This record gives sequence, C-alpha cells and structure tokens, in this order.
Amino acid sequence: MEIWIEHLGVRKMVTEEDIEHVSKLMKINVTNHAEYVDKVRAMINYFDILDSAGVESEEVSMQEISISELREDKYIPFDEKLIEKLNHYKGTYVRAPKMSS
Amino acid sequence: MNLKISALEFVQQVQDGNISAEDFVAKTIEQIQSVDEKLHAFLSVNENAVEQARLIDKKIKSGDKVGACFGMPISIKDNMCIKNDKTTCASKMLENFIAPYDATVITKLKQQDAIFIGKTNMDEFAMGLSTEFSAFGPSRNPWNPEYVPGGSSGGSAVSVSAFECVTSLGSDTGGSVRNPASFCSVVGYKPTYGLISRYGLISYANSIEQIGPITRTVKDVAFMLNIIAGIDPNDNTTIDNKGEDYLSGIDSGIEGKKIGIITDMMTDGVDPAVLSATKDAISKLEGLGATCEEVSIDMVKYSVAAYYTITATEAGSNLARYDNLRYGYDFSVEGYEFNSYISKAREKFGPEVTRRMIIGGFVPSAGHAGKYFLKALKVKSKLTKELDEAFKKFDLLVAPTVPVLPFKIGEKINDPVSLFLIDINTVTANLTGKPAISIPYSISNGLPIGIQLFANSNQDKLLLQAAYALEQTVKLPEVPL
Amino acid sequence: MTKIGLEIHCQLTHLKSKLFCSCKANYREFEINENVCPVCMGLPGSLPRLNQEAVKKATIIAMALNCSTPEKIAFFRKNYFYPDLTKNFQITQLNIYGDTSVGGKGSVIVDGKKIRITRIQLEEDPGRLIYEGSSSKNQITLVDYNRAGTPLVEIVTEPDFENPKQVREFLNILSDLLENLAVSDPGLDGAMRADANVSIEGGNKVEVKNIGSFHDLEKAVHFEITRQNSLHSRDISIIQETRHWDDKRKITVSSRSKEEDLDYRYFLEGDIPWITIDSSILEKLKSEMPESINSKKERYISKYNIPEQVADVLSSDKFYSDLFEESHSDSNAKEIANIITTDLMGLIDTREKRESSKISATHLRDLADAITSGKISRNSSKNALYEIVKTGNNISQIISDLDLGNVSDESELTGIIQEIITSEPQAVEQAKSNPQTINYLVGKVMQKTKGKADPKLTLDLLKKLIE
Repeated sequence: MEIWIEHLGVRKMVTEEDIEHVSKLMKINVTNHAEYVDKVRAMINYFDILDSAGVESEEVSMQEISISELREDKYIPFDEKLIEKLNHYKGTYVRAPKMSS
Repeated sequence: MNLKISALEFVQQVQDGNISAEDFVAKTIEQIQSVDEKLHAFLSVNENAVEQARLIDKKIKSGDKVGACFGMPISIKDNMCIKNDKTTCASKMLENFIAPYDATVITKLKQQDAIFIGKTNMDEFAMGLSTEFSAFGPSRNPWNPEYVPGGSSGGSAVSVSAFECVTSLGSDTGGSVRNPASFCSVVGYKPTYGLISRYGLISYANSIEQIGPITRTVKDVAFMLNIIAGIDPNDNTTIDNKGEDYLSGIDSGIEGKKIGIITDMMTDGVDPAVLSATKDAISKLEGLGATCEEVSIDMVKYSVAAYYTITATEAGSNLARYDNLRYGYDFSVEGYEFNSYISKAREKFGPEVTRRMIIGGFVPSAGHAGKYFLKALKVKSKLTKELDEAFKKFDLLVAPTVPVLPFKIGEKINDPVSLFLIDINTVTANLTGKPAISIPYSISNGLPIGIQLFANSNQDKLLLQAAYALEQTVKLPEVPL
Repeated sequence: MTKIGLEIHCQLTHLKSKLFCSCKANYREFEINENVCPVCMGLPGSLPRLNQEAVKKATIIAMALNCSTPEKIAFFRKNYFYPDLTKNFQITQLNIYGDTSVGGKGSVIVDGKKIRITRIQLEEDPGRLIYEGSSSKNQITLVDYNRAGTPLVEIVTEPDFENPKQVREFLNILSDLLENLAVSDPGLDGAMRADANVSIEGGNKVEVKNIGSFHDLEKAVHFEITRQNSLHSRDISIIQETRHWDDKRKITVSSRSKEEDLDYRYFLEGDIPWITIDSSILEKLKSEMPESINSKKERYISKYNIPEQVADVLSSDKFYSDLFEESHSDSNAKEIANIITTDLMGLIDTREKRESSKISATHLRDLADAITSGKISRNSSKNALYEIVKTGNNISQIISDLDLGNVSDESELTGIIQEIITSEPQAVEQAKSNPQTINYLVGKVMQKTKGKADPKLTLDLLKKLIE
C-alpha cells in the first residue's frame, strides 16, 4: 500500500491550512485555527523524537488468538427494541442530514 | 459508623452483622453530600442506592445466597456503561446518553451484589491526567483542594480517598488509574492487558487500555480482581486467567525476589521528593528480602511520543461515531447538509479532545503514516521486547508512579507537552500490556507520593504479593478532609 | 487495450449471524431497525465479536479461487464519515503488514484467459440509506441499520479483463462457484454488488462504484468503455476519477468526492487480535469443501457417459446438481440428467417457481424408472413432470389421475394400428420397400394415442402387421 511508504524529506511546519484540512477530515468545526496551531505544532514536533528511536527494523506485533476461540455462528436477538432507546424518526428510521452530490 | 474501612473489612462486618449494608450506604450518601460539593468526585449519584442496599440486607437476613460484595458501595468511572443510567464520559457530547446495556464488569459486580453509588468525574473521554478536562468542571484533591487529583480517573480516586465509596473502578490508558491513585494516596491497579473485559468501557485507545480497581488496600484490588477478571466472550482481547484466586497467598512475601530499578524513570526530571521516596521504598523492598538492581529500558524515552501517537490515532477513530445521529444531544438535522451537520454537532467536544482528534487525523493520514504511526507501533514492539528481556532477569520492576507531585489546578493546563511528560512512568505498562500498580508510599508537604511496581504479563498475582509486602511497611497519615 | 478490474462484494448469506454480533445475517425479513444490537449500532463501549464461521466461509472462497491462505489474518479500520456506518469506520482487511487478508493472490481461468485475484477480504456491510423527497432541496435521508454488520467477502481482481463479455463470463463462473460452495445465494436482492475500474488504451483509470447487481455490472462496464472511447475519439482526455452507477438511468455519473474523504487513515483494529488459522483447520476446511463444478462435470461425463453439454449445464447449477446427486444411480443417471436438463429446467426457470416447486429426488427416480420400464412414454413424462412440480403427488398417482399410462395392451394397440394401416396405404407400401420410413407410421400411432403408445411394442406390432 502506497500510504505506508515512508515520506522522506523535510516535513513542513504545521500550518493553519493543515489544521483546517485535518479538522475537515475529522469533521469538527474549528473556528479559530490559529488557536490550535501552536499546541498541535508543539505536540507534533515532540513526536519527531521517534525518528531517533532506531526502530526501523522492528516488526509490528499483535496479540493472537486461534480461530477456534471465536464466536459460534448463532442468531441471538438483542433482548429489547433498541431503536426505541435511540434517536428515531418516521416510525423507526434514523434520520440523517441530506447528502450532498 | 466508620466509613474508613476496606472492602474486605466491609464484607466481614456485614457478614458478622455488625453493620447493615443499608446503614453503610446511607452514611456513604451523607458523606458524598457533605464533601462532594467541594471535591466534585461524582457526576451522578445513584438515588436508589439505599433501597438497593435494603434489599440486599433482606436477602442476608432471610438466609438467601448473597454475592461477595454484600451491598458494598462502589463508584464507577463515567466511561463504563450501566444499563439505564447516564454515561457521559464527562463530555457535553454524551451529556444525555443513557446506556441501554451493562458493561461486563457491571454485570459481574451486579451478580455479586455490589451497589453502584455513583458515576465519577474524569477528563473528557479519559484524555488527560488531572481531571481538569472534564466538561463538567474539575475534581479536587482531598489532600489539598487547590491541587489536582490526577487523572483521568480523578473522580474515582477522590471518591475512594474521601470515603465516598469503598472501592472504585477506573480505566487506565496511559496511567489514568495509577496517576490519580498516586496523587490521592490510594491503591491503583492496571492489570495485564486482556485480564479484565473492556466490553462496555467507552474506548479511548482500545489497544492498550484496561479497566482497573482503585482501592484503599492491595488486598482490596485482589478482592475486586476475583470478581471482575477473566475471559469474556464479548471481548475478543480478553485472556483466560483460569479462575485465579488473587487473594490466596497474597501475604507470601518477596523474599529472594529480584527487582529491577528502571533508571530511565528516575532521571533528573523527577521531583527530588519523589526520588527520595522511591529510594526509600527500594531499601524497604531490600529489607523484605528482595535484591534490587538498576536496569535501563532504552525505549522509555520514546514511550510518551509513541503513546500519544497511538492514542491520538485510535481516539480519532473511536470518537468518530459521535456524530449525533443515533444518540447524543438535542440538535435537529433539519436544513443541514451531512458534512456541515456532523462538523457542527461535534463542536460539543472540549478543546483537549478536539486537539487530540486533530493529532489523530494528522499522524495516521496518508502523508504521515510511515513517519509517525508506524514508528510508534515499532517503538511499542521494541519496548515490549526490552521489558520481556528485563523480566528474564527480574521478577519485578520498580519506579515512581508519577515523576512529579500533584500540581495546582490550572498550573499546567496550557502546556500540553509538559503535561505529556508526566505520563512517562506510566505509559510503559500500557504500551507493553504488562500489569502495574501504584501504592501510596509517603506524603511530602501534605501531598501524596505513590510507588509503582511492574510485573510480567499474567504475573498479576505475583505483583499483588509484592505490592502487599511493600504496603505493610507503610504507615501514612489520614487524609485531612 | 481496454483493462477492467473488479471489486466484488458478496454477502455470506448462508450464515446465521452478523460478522461481529449475534443479530441475524439475513436482515431482509425485519421491520426497519429491528435487527440491531449495541454492537452493530456501534454504541459507545460495544466491541466486535468475530464470527468464526464467517472466517471459515471466506477461507473456503479463497481456496476455491486458488488464493493463498495465510496463517494469520488481521483486521483494519477504514475511517470515513457516512450515515450508513454506525461507527464511522468500517472494519475490513488489508495486506499492510504482510499478507493478512483471508485470501492472498489467486486466479481463475475465464474463457481460456487467466484472471488474477489480488486478494479476498472479509468485512462488514454498512446500513442502508433511503432518500425521500422529490428535489435535492427537500431531500430527507433515512437510515435502516438492519444490514449493518452483515458479513461481506470482497473479491478484488487485477485489471485483467479486456471486454464486458469476459466480465460476464467471470460473473457466471463466480455465481455458480459461490452457490456451489453453499456460502452465498447470488440471486438474493443485494447479495452481490460490485465496483469496477475501467481504462482504455491511452486513458486514465476510472472507478465505477455502487453497482447493485451482476446484471448491472456488465452494463456499467459496457457503458463506461463506450463513454471513454467516445471521449477518446473526440480527443478529449479521460480524467482519473470516481464515478457512480446510476441504476435508474443506467449510466455512470461523476462523483464529486473531496480529497479528504479519500484519506481513510487505515490502521489495525485493536479490538480483534490477529486470528491464527493452523494448517489442521485449513486441511479440514479443504476436505469438507463441496466438490468443484469442474470435477462434477468431469465425473458426469466419465462415469455416466453424459454428453458434455448436458454435464456442463447440470454441474454448474447447485440446485439441479444436488437433485441429480440425490436421485441418480448408476443405471438411471443418464435418464435423470436428461429429464433435468431437457424438461425440468424449462419448467422451473425462475427463482419463484423453484421455491414453490414440489419436486423431490424420489420423484425423479420414480419418473426415470417409469420411463425405462415403459410405464410412461417420454412424451407423457413431460406432462407428469409438470404435475409433480405443481402437486408433489407420486408418479403412479399422477399416471392414473391423468391417464398418462402407456397403451401397452396388445389387442388395443393392434386395433389402433390396423386403423392406421387402412387409412395410410401409401405409407405402408413405402415402409415395405424402405424400412426406415416406418417411423412415420409410429408417429401416426403416437398421434392417435396422444403419445401414450408403448413405442417398442408399437414398432414390433407395426412390422408384424405390415408383413
């Protein structure tokens, strides 16, 4: 996957545009981007310490379990009408805002 | 009635008929009413607690089978779901969220006749280490209300420390149980990853966090683990502890055990009072027959950066579900387009959560994934290897729980990186999945200091034995409420 | 050269529960938002609980498509906001840290051409969006999450197809294969969906998403190639873009997706450990796999001497090949294959007819016996089959109810034949000089008896009576 290929070269400083881009990506209105720039920049800059950890050759590891420990394929309905406890609309639909495009 | 008793003492006294659960719970509610206005440990208090305790007393009187908790009042961090109760994560985003199901730990405690006395305050979505980032106002340290109680499970630690419950459940993502336990002079436990089910714990950074008990004594941790630990079909990451009894043999001592002193957690940055308390504890451990020796864990200095990279990434994803469509607060979709609605609805997140989500959008995003996130995962792997290596030589490791003393409310809130570094001694246990405990050790200028012990994965029982042994050497003043 | 690659999403419709919770995998029978629980609704604190059988079924598909199967599989989160996703991420698979998808590289031969499979991944289906309101201005979006969490297998191919015909052929093979493996029912509405990427010589790659059926997939690919060729012939450059299939207008339409929506921030799903599938389990799955369509076909030809074309049709449809397997013996195999492929397939040619049909293996066996023993003519057997499908009655009852039994009474048949000889003197003369033409007279007898005359007896009697 190309997204995992390391991007070499000098990384630019965190800018207001970056904050705007990422806040859009994460779907949060950030009204004052400038307010976030310093703190986020400080945090991101701190992460640069990872460059000197010398871990390039390490492998990523994860907890493992056997397929035989997984849930059996059985239908068990939830014991109550969950939708009644959640936001609902027009009977039992969930309503979303209109979609663009 | 004495509220200052341990869980084991409570059970004994109810069993002996010396006290009733109802009286004790009623008295606990009174205590909450008298101190919580000042301390703000609770976000909500269970109005039916006394009634529930009365029913348990009835069961006891009529000779019915009664669960191991005998109506003990327990407080629960407000990021664990109790069916039909509000579960807010101290966030405006979930201000009105009523959980429609019980977390596994709640189910287990209900089966053992525990009373949930209330839901405790925390940093919003557990992001913080001072409880100052609660959307509903900070909790205060019972030892000195000008000071933070630590966090993110600050409310839980305060409630145990100020006798507003007997024990509490917190959650520990990077020290969130141990840090406030240290700051409030109570015991805080972060188990081996997978020992306690996370089903019903609202995720912050799911790959490293665990629910952990906050108690007055080490034995009480063992008592709680006996109830809540073990494999859970609802959580694929839980491990089978084969019904381990953590209380039996807890007084086995540490004679002949080898203990490594983590030098990377005792550097110049550590407060001198904390350093000297730790050295004192080490000599106590030696006095108990253990041999202590320094050990260096190289990756510790990268651990905080790795920790924040991983947690921000996972948080960014875990918190994506809060789009206000299926549950949340009152805000109509009428007239909005999807993206603008979601972005507007999510303005309810507090500034710290927003910051971490922005970081969580940065570090795993297409351009940066290799640079930050993958490296963080590799640091995590290497750190784990280093600890595994250390545990070949040592049975246990020791370090201060927190490198600093409790600080004043507002003192560090605007300096994210200096807040980061307070986590340096606790995040290692989370990144490696190893169990760790904070034991109240001393008081310096009226502020508590905790000592942290680590053991290898699945050595929770050994860890509790060592903690118990150290605890027996400590005599601390009572909290000046 | 035109290059087409496919991403095929196939629901594992034969499972009982969803991929990560115990709600029902077949969501089709529920009221709106009735088939949901805290897990598939993505409620705070809920965790995925992986369905063991889903991993096994996906593995079987991988093996059947000649894909490698790894020792451990991993799950990843694909992060994006959309109202049909309850968590605003989809749990899926990728090969980031080595091959950890349920299926690795594989291939299928289509029309003599090798189509390479890139990988096979197991993932969750999102909910369903319903748009109400006539104009985009007063549009209302409604969501039904009954489908959310349904187990999906995504089959990703390399861009190895050169034309829509190969695509169609591949889809046919794939449908039959999935059905034969008893993992999915491709005929169920929404069970098969696809995305395609299409590029022509000298043009950029265009992704076409949101194709709701195999039928439309072929159309969409065809449309896209035509569209691109038309642009190309007018010297208009083909831009790299994502388009979606408009199934009402049957055209592809450009999707205006923003750049940030495409940054999925994939990372490991920490709530699901890596799943190890040891070789003994793989062996067991392999040994339990249903016989492949090809192997069935070969067996029908070599063992029963069934013509290749018949064997081909019979083996590729699980419904019929199951009926065949259950009903046939060494002696009647050919007859049963014949009944199924020449008569039965025409009688129950739709899903509804199949489902309401009352036919069983016993019926087929009895019918074949009745034909070979001469109790019923091949001609009448068609009528009998129609009755079986409709009523489910047994064959002897049907023969007597409808009077389909052969006329095999020698004196009755002799009478009929003599009538024919009298009325067809020319034909009788011809038959005497050229025995081949006697069939004309047999036909006349059949006509008279409405096809019920025992053919062998008729012929014998005719020959005797003419001489």
